[in-house]
Amino acid sequence: MSPMTLTPYLWLGAFLFTCGVVCMATKRNAVGVLMGVELVLNGANINFLAFARFNPAFAMEGQVFALFTIVLAAAEAAIALAIVLSFYNNHGTVDVDAAEELRG
Amino acid sequence: MLTFSPQAIADLQRDLLAFLPELVLCAAIVLMLLIRLFPATGRTHLGGLALLAVGGALVVAWLQWTRSGSLPLPDTSVRYFTGLLAYDSLTVFLRLFLLGFVALAIVLTFFTHIPDSEDSGDFYVLLLGGTVGMMLMASANHLLMVYMAVEMASLPSYALVGFTKGRRASSEAALKYVVYGGGAAGVMLYGISLVAGRFGTGSLTDVAQGVGAALATGTLDVPLALGLAFIFIGLAFKLSAVPFHFWCPDVFEGAPAEIGAFLSVASKGAAMALAGRLVLAFAAVAPEQAALAFAPVLALFAAVTATFGNLAAYSQTNLKRLLAYSTIAHAGYMMMALACVNTEGMSAVLFYLVTYLFTNLGAFAVIALIRNRTGSEDLSAYAGLVYTAPGLVVAMGVFLLSLLGLPPLAGFAGKFVIFSAVYHAAADASRPWLAQIYWALFVIGGLNTVISAVYYVRALKVMVIDKPPEGVGDRRVPFAAGSYAAILAMLVFVLGIAWNMLSVASERGTASFPAPKATVAAKG
Repeated sequence: MSPMTLTPYLWLGAFLFTCGVVCMATKRNAVGVLMGVELVLNGANINFLAFARFNPAFAMEGQVFALFTIVLAAAEAAIALAIVLSFYNNHGTVDVDAAEELRG
Repeated sequence: MLTFSPQAIADLQRDLLAFLPELVLCAAIVLMLLIRLFPATGRTHLGGLALLAVGGALVVAWLQWTRSGSLPLPDTSVRYFTGLLAYDSLTVFLRLFLLGFVALAIVLTFFTHIPDSEDSGDFYVLLLGGTVGMMLMASANHLLMVYMAVEMASLPSYALVGFTKGRRASSEAALKYVVYGGGAAGVMLYGISLVAGRFGTGSLTDVAQGVGAALATGTLDVPLALGLAFIFIGLAFKLSAVPFHFWCPDVFEGAPAEIGAFLSVASKGAAMALAGRLVLAFAAVAPEQAALAFAPVLALFAAVTATFGNLAAYSQTNLKRLLAYSTIAHAGYMMMALACVNTEGMSAVLFYLVTYLFTNLGAFAVIALIRNRTGSEDLSAYAGLVYTAPGLVVAMGVFLLSLLGLPPLAGFAGKFVIFSAVYHAAADASRPWLAQIYWALFVIGGLNTVISAVYYVRALKVMVIDKPPEGVGDRRVPFAAGSYAAILAMLVFVLGIAWNMLSVASERGTASFPAPKATVAAKG
């Protein structure tokens, strides 16, 4: 079996990124949209780790990138879920299509 | 045992001194969180403490700017914290700008009572946290810091937009902001992963070298171009550049007016500084190629953003929504200066930001004060306001006419500086087609100013000429709050006449970047 190269990892990252973007664009449930955001972030994380694995100069930096991204993703999820809860309290639904009173 | 060399300790000391304004704010945030733990102090209004912290940070930043004591500000840009942040006059200029704005905004919250004593701890912690993030945006020198700073500025903003929890509009605005903002930040991070992985480093200096070399040899491949495009999408979202502006009107309408001011002035200022730092970093490596590559793109976005903002503002009936579109238009004007891809353009952006600070904060302050009296932000609630609160109408008139850019107000000076930067860029352009782009930008900027007159003057007309609506309450505002607006209006007036000092300061703000003319001359 030939050793793994960088390219398949990048394809996986790109695949996750695409799934995330499609998920953000098509999901009507606010929590579903947030899961799409998480997919995009993890697509980027796979890129960071793959680059860190195959480029010795980027080994440390890439892993630090990934660590910080994980922490920030958690912070963002906490804020986003709190806001979704506040939206639910006011509107009785988490459907993003219900967010349509502000327009013009 | 781990030991540190004297050099490392000296470096750390220098870095911490350079980082002092941010550290003051961080200490205040921790203090405010701790104070709330004790029953005796849990319900005190923490605005005074927040103002004290911002004032302290402002003093430190001012000492850095004037090079007093042991806080030197070098002429060239210094990298600190192992190259993650840049310490130069642009950093310190933006610190003064952001801290000055936040200090004024905190004073405004004393008059509008938007956080009550119960919630004041949360409110000011989020406000100061967002400010630290914005200050980091202005000094980021590494792609990791770019992402961290953008998120650190965004997350508190999401929560602040939804701060009035019980209001339907507020929670809707916060949901829209966090969903779109999270998506844009994710896309930006993916772009960062492509660019940083490609060059094996996230340092902006090295990335700019790599991109400059790729531009010079014409080897900009698809992943790199895509990565750069994604990073600029993330920035364009923060700048509310068309077509990434759609969140802006909804968020501004749903959020409290005080937060609207914070987003439209501080957030835009930080995003402008970050975008300018990126563009100037590329321009410092390859001025010719950077101008040819970035100027057309930035010019196109600037022209579309300014025109769209002004056209869409025309039909608005909610004053905050109108100001949201006006914010989009003003971001367009500032991007016109950014499209010059030189230090003169960036200085013009800095100058414009300061004039915009007083003008827009004033306008949002008047909205917040009237909201407290009438509970409405619709333009109809302002009808005939001149009969009950003439002073406030005069102040609002000054702010609106300054946004329009009428002399002798600050907005005129800002527009003048931006248009003259575009004019000079057109005269100095290295290609005929580039000069034509700048001339087109110049004309579009002028036309936009004319279009914007329609809606600013219409808002004034409603206040002065229309009859007051039936059953409207007493719309007079307290004397202290009124004088706050009056002082801002006077500052707008003064800045429009005596802007020499600000002009010198804004030029110094970009002094650490190489002037493009000198670089070109050295090459020829």
